Amino acid sequence: MRQTYGKTLPGMKLTDLSGKLIVVEGTDGAGRTTQINLLKAWLEERGHAVLDTGMTRSPLAGEGIRRAKEGNNLGRVTQSLFYATDFVDRLENEIVPALRAGFVVLTDRYIYSLMARAIVRGMDPAWIRSIYSMALVPDAVIYLRIGVDQLIPRVIFSRGFDYWESGMDVFPGQDMYENFRSYQTALLAEFERLSVEFRFETVDGSADVKTVFAELQKKILRIVESDSRQQYVFGRSEETATLQRKTQETWAAQLRELRSNDLRILPRTTPVSSGGNGHGMEEADRSA
Amino acid sequence: MNTGSNLRIGPFEIFYPVEEAAERVRANGGSSFPGKLFVVEGIDGSGKSTQLSLLHKWIESKGYGVVFSTWNSSSLVKDTTKLGKKKKMLTAATFSLIHATDFADRIERSILPLLKAGAVVLCDRYIYTAFARDVARGMSSKWVRELYGFAVKPTVAFYFRVPLETAIGRLVAARDGFKFYEAGLDLGLSDDPTESFRLFQGRILQEYERMIPEFGLTVIDATLPVEVQQAQVRQIAKTHLDRAKELRVRP
Repeated sequence: MRQTYGKTLPGMKLTDLSGKLIVVEGTDGAGRTTQINLLKAWLEERGHAVLDTGMTRSPLAGEGIRRAKEGNNLGRVTQSLFYATDFVDRLENEIVPALRAGFVVLTDRYIYSLMARAIVRGMDPAWIRSIYSMALVPDAVIYLRIGVDQLIPRVIFSRGFDYWESGMDVFPGQDMYENFRSYQTALLAEFERLSVEFRFETVDGSADVKTVFAELQKKILRIVESDSRQQYVFGRSEETATLQRKTQETWAAQLRELRSNDLRILPRTTPVSSGGNGHGMEEADRSA
Repeated sequence: MNTGSNLRIGPFEIFYPVEEAAERVRANGGSSFPGKLFVVEGIDGSGKSTQLSLLHKWIESKGYGVVFSTWNSSSLVKDTTKLGKKKKMLTAATFSLIHATDFADRIERSILPLLKAGAVVLCDRYIYTAFARDVARGMSSKWVRELYGFAVKPTVAFYFRVPLETAIGRLVAARDGFKFYEAGLDLGLSDDPTESFRLFQGRILQEYERMIPEFGLTVIDATLPVEVQQAQVRQIAKTHLDRAKELRVRP
C-alpha cells in the first residue's frame, strides 16, 4: 500500500495505486522540463502509459495563480496556499487516478519545491510540512542539482529574469540580477536540507542534456522494473532477462505443441504473476 | 512566520500545543496590535450578519475607523473559488485550501495592516467557519487548525447559537433553495437539498459546540430578540473599545 507523509485525505484510498510516482525536482532552469519531455517519449515508446503533470496545471487553480502572479501583489502566505490548492487538485484528480490505472506519473516538481519556496519566504517549516503531510510518498525523487553560476547562462539564453524566479517579492531593492542570485542561492540551500530529509537521488544537472537523460533513464528503469509485471515485459537485469528467456522458451514450446495439435490458438500475451504492488502491505491504518 | 516587518505571527496557543508557537503569541499575538478584531460566527440563519451590521453602524457612529471583511471576498482568489463551486470541482481538501487561500490574502493585504494601523476590523465569519465546515466534510481537525496557524486571534469571537430548526425555518422562508456546497450535497448525505442541508448544518453545529470551550467563543443566544442580542454584543465590544480610546478618529 502507498503511504502519505502523515495525513490521508478523505475519500482517498491508498490501496491499488500500482503505478509509479516519479518526481523530478530542481530549481528554476535546472532542466526538469526538458528531461521530462524526453522521459515521457522514451517511456511511452517502451509501452508505459505516462502522465506528466506540474505546478499550476490544475483546472481549478492554475489560471487563478497565473492571474494573481501578474499583479505582483500576491502575498507570501496566500501564494503558499494557492499553490497547495493547485497541488491537491492535481493530486486528487490526476495523480491518484493515474496511479490507480497503473500509469507512470512524471511530475515536474512536487511538494519539495513548494516547501522550499515557502520556507525561503519566511513561512514556518513546521506549518508548511503539516499542510503537505497528505502528499503521497513518491517512488523516487530525482533532484537535478545545479549551482547558481551554471544557472545564470541558462536564464540569459532562455527567457531572461522573471519577477518571481528572482524572488523580487522576498528581497528588497530593484536589482533583479542580485535578487536572482540571492533567491536561488537560498532555494538551493533549502533543497540541500530537503534532499537529506526526503532522500532525493541527486543528479548533476549542469551536465549536458544527453548525459543527464542517460542517468535518469538508468534510475527510472530500476523503478519501473521493481514491479513484477513490468519486470516481465521490460526486463533488463540479468535475473529478469533469464526469467524472460525461460518463459519465452516455455511459450514457444507450448506454441509448437499447440500447432502440432493443429490448434491455431495463440498464447495470451502476458501471464502476469499476481502479487499486487509488491509491497505486501494491506490496507491498515487510515486515520485521517 | 515573518510577515514582512519585525512583527511575527504564528499558530496560537489555542490552536494546538506547540510550545514555540505559543511563546510567539504571548510576545506578538493579537493583543499586541493597536487595532481590535471582532468576528461573528454561527450557522446560516443564525442572524450573525444582521448583528454585525448593527455593530458596524454603532462603532462607526462612535467615530472609530472601522472596516468590514467578509468570508470569501479576496479579489485575488474568489474567481477560483467561484469556478470550483460552479463546476463542482471542489473536494473536501480543495474546498478547505481555497478558502484558506482567500483568508490568507485578506489577512496579509487587509486585516493585518488595518490592525497594525489601529482600525476596528469586523469579520463576518472567521477561521471557526472553516474549522466547522471542513471537519464536517471529513478533514482532520488537527490539519485544518494547523492550516490556519497564520490567523490573527480575534479580540472577541461572537458565536450566535441557535437550534437547527430555528435557523432552517428562517432560511426556508427567506430563500428559494440551497446551493450545492452550502447544502453539503458534495457529501452525498441526501439527494434532497433541504434534507442534506439539515444534516450538514447539524454536523457543523456540533463542531461549533466543540469549539466554544476550545477557543473561548463568546456565546450569544440567537433566539432572543434582535435588540437584546445587539445590546449584549455592544456591551462586550464596548469594554474592549474603552481600553483603546486612542484608535478613535477625531473629525
